[in-house]
Amino acid sequence: MSRPQMKLGAFLMAGGHHIAAWRHPDAHAQAGSDIDHFIQLARIAERGKFDMIFIEDAAAIRERNPDLASQAARSTAFEPLSLLAAIAVNTSHIGLVATASTSYTEPYGLARSFAALDQLSGGRAGWNLVTSASELEAENFASSGLRPHSERYERAEEFADAALALWDSVEEGAYLPPDGKAFADRSKLHPVHRHRKHFAVDGILESQRSPQGRPIMVQAGASDVGKDLAARTADVVFAASQTKAEAQAYYADVKARLAKYGRGHDDLKVMPGISPIIGATEDEAKAKYRALQDLIPDAVGVALLASYLSIQDLSAYPLDGPLPEMPQTNLIQSRQQLIVDLGKREGLSIRELARHFAGARGHWQVVGTPSQVADAMEERFLDSAADGFNVMAPLFPSGLEDFVTLVVPELRRRGLFRKEYEGRTLRENLGVASPNKG
Amino acid sequence: MLLGYSLSPFGHDPDAWRQARDGRLLGFDALLGQVAAAEAAGFDFVLLSDRLGLRSSDDLSSVAVPFEPTLFASALATRASRIGIIAAASTVQHEPYNLARRFASLDLISKGRAGWLVVTDDSDAGRESEYVDVVTALWDSFEDDAFLYDKTAGRFFDPSKMHVAHHKGPYFSVRGPLNVNRSPQGRPLVAHLLGDSNKALAARTGDLLLLQAETADGLVTAAAHAVKAVEAAGRSRRGIRLLANIVPIIVSGSQGTDDASGFPGYDQAIRIAGTTGEITDQLLELAAAAGLDGFTIFPPTLEMGQRFISEIAPELRQRGMTGPNAGTTLRDRLGLARWVHPSGLGEEILR
Ligand SMILES: Cc1cc2nc3c(=O)[nH]c(=O)nc-3n(C[C@H](O)[C@H](O)[C@H](O)COP(=O)(O)O)c2cc1C
Repeated sequence: MSRPQMKLGAFLMAGGHHIAAWRHPDAHAQAGSDIDHFIQLARIAERGKFDMIFIEDAAAIRERNPDLASQAARSTAFEPLSLLAAIAVNTSHIGLVATASTSYTEPYGLARSFAALDQLSGGRAGWNLVTSASELEAENFASSGLRPHSERYERAEEFADAALALWDSVEEGAYLPPDGKAFADRSKLHPVHRHRKHFAVDGILESQRSPQGRPIMVQAGASDVGKDLAARTADVVFAASQTKAEAQAYYADVKARLAKYGRGHDDLKVMPGISPIIGATEDEAKAKYRALQDLIPDAVGVALLASYLSIQDLSAYPLDGPLPEMPQTNLIQSRQQLIVDLGKREGLSIRELARHFAGARGHWQVVGTPSQVADAMEERFLDSAADGFNVMAPLFPSGLEDFVTLVVPELRRRGLFRKEYEGRTLRENLGVASPNKG
Repeated sequence: MLLGYSLSPFGHDPDAWRQARDGRLLGFDALLGQVAAAEAAGFDFVLLSDRLGLRSSDDLSSVAVPFEPTLFASALATRASRIGIIAAASTVQHEPYNLARRFASLDLISKGRAGWLVVTDDSDAGRESEYVDVVTALWDSFEDDAFLYDKTAGRFFDPSKMHVAHHKGPYFSVRGPLNVNRSPQGRPLVAHLLGDSNKALAARTGDLLLLQAETADGLVTAAAHAVKAVEAAGRSRRGIRLLANIVPIIVSGSQGTDDASGFPGYDQAIRIAGTTGEITDQLLELAAAAGLDGFTIFPPTLEMGQRFISEIAPELRQRGMTGPNAGTTLRDRLGLARWVHPSGLGEEILR
């Protein structure tokens, strides 16, 4: 009997997801600006038959205070689409998902960029649509500041529809038709004419049709509007949850919204983050975790926590006391809630919470042997908490290498993960419906 | 003599696709094949144009690169290891912060071989000028030795060597800093296709100026005007590179140049027809007459591109006009100095 198959993404980040990864003795401190390092990571993930790699994004430095920014490797990074275009022509099967904001780009340029990534990769592109929740990003684009949450999502809705329409403006075989009379077959080009509140889009996409119909749409919003947009337009959602109950609630919530948009349960894959710290024995795994935790400067950890809580200065409160009461944020509402809940549930002080959070920025951390990690994943996968996982290795390349050589075979033994890719496009491998049929 | 190769899937003649009716030519592998041949023949850079700025509204161009050029450049950079890569990007299609990131990333991915061909919207010179200044200021967000990677001290970079632009102008408001490491070249090369409306901007900000003229006389005049504009901007002729766009039409000795009449000229390039020896002579004469540093070829067809590579490039080498180039970055290859961060000049240009 064949069991349901887990989807796997490798969330890549320079030296590692752990905030202090770059300081680890094994770390390649310049990883963030080394293209060969990223190509190597993508190939490791492809060897493990991962569905995709995933790159996050912010169009700004992430910390306003220069002293704190200068202690974090995350302060600089490759622009994700440029990075994935380079990886595309050095890999053959793995999906390539780049984050890009609807708040600071225009639909035509962005749709064209993802079309280029899709062509370069032979149909392996995906777009993680985000609305960008930081003031620092807003300040790189306008003097008017960050737009309110609802307005960002209103723009995102319109943006997504414009991008989808542009990708559909070109049919397969639109260029070099067999009759040979003209370069383009006009009957296969469908110019878009959309003049709405935020964007005016006229014309067709300057590209051939995507080999997978259109790029895969990914989202990670956790607010109500965010989940609705995902249920309407996304093929994959990422999420951050700590407990199984939280993950199940999110899973049920998002899946329940699909019917409203005429979509089926399996049309959207829910893939929460997992940060696995793997050791041959449980003690070895714990020691690995501690070695990383010891490298976190308190000020850096607290600043990271504060940025997700959208609190200006958390260091004004006693570090060994609890979190202060906070108003609901205009920024990342869901992550704020997760942190507050975690602090209350486990009775953590600000310092403890910051250290815990710095490991994987609020994502689920599992410290243990390969079979313990596989057990934890299997449980959430089978209990309707996830269709798969976005794997966030604390340290690269070793954390990903460990996962591929130790955990993936364990998942395969249990019949939960593929031995070979099903197809060549990301859409085929994820097994989500193609817009061509419909 | 410097040589650039303008890439197009079928050739720059709008009808070239009719001779080479093969969809594979629109794909990455075929385009990479052209670039690899140009690289092996000693070309200094490949130019990836985006219809030189005109945003199509109704179809894919058969003469422009079929992918968004900055991303295509990034892919190319990992598979062609020596040639410079100059990608066109328009100031109306990208926000300055986003564009600065793309090219800074490309410079890292190509290990210092990236160039930006600035495609402007000519209706507002003030906006265009401010745009380029914002981008170049963002590229100077970090000094050359800002990144310490000091694991023990936990210091990734030296915060005193980070510069936040805090730009507030009539058209753009951009805080900075750029969230990308310092460019291997100091900053990516800046290229302009010289026209009437962008001359002042090009002369002030360009490292590489591409001249377009339809006749030899026109080229000599255009080059003289360009040099005058560069000097008027307070820069030295030696600090820039001046290349002319040409359409090479190579005929075999017995054919005579009449056979070349099938190829139309383009307003962005001068047509040069003849046998290998004749074209080589003409290039040398033109370079001397106009004081040029070299040429960017716009092959009208793939065949002409191949023949330039297999016949004229070796001829130029034989006559000592081109030779092995030891430069690893694009600036090195063009004989231009590495970009020096303004802080190194002893004047605080950035706030
Ligand atoms: C796994 C994951 C990755 C994310 N990556 C990014 C990112 O790279 N850039 C970003 O601006 N937001 C990112 N987000 C944030 C969300 O996509 C979303 O924009 C944010 O949560 C605000 O929307 P909400 O209020 O609907 O939650 C990420 C969220 C998750 C769960």
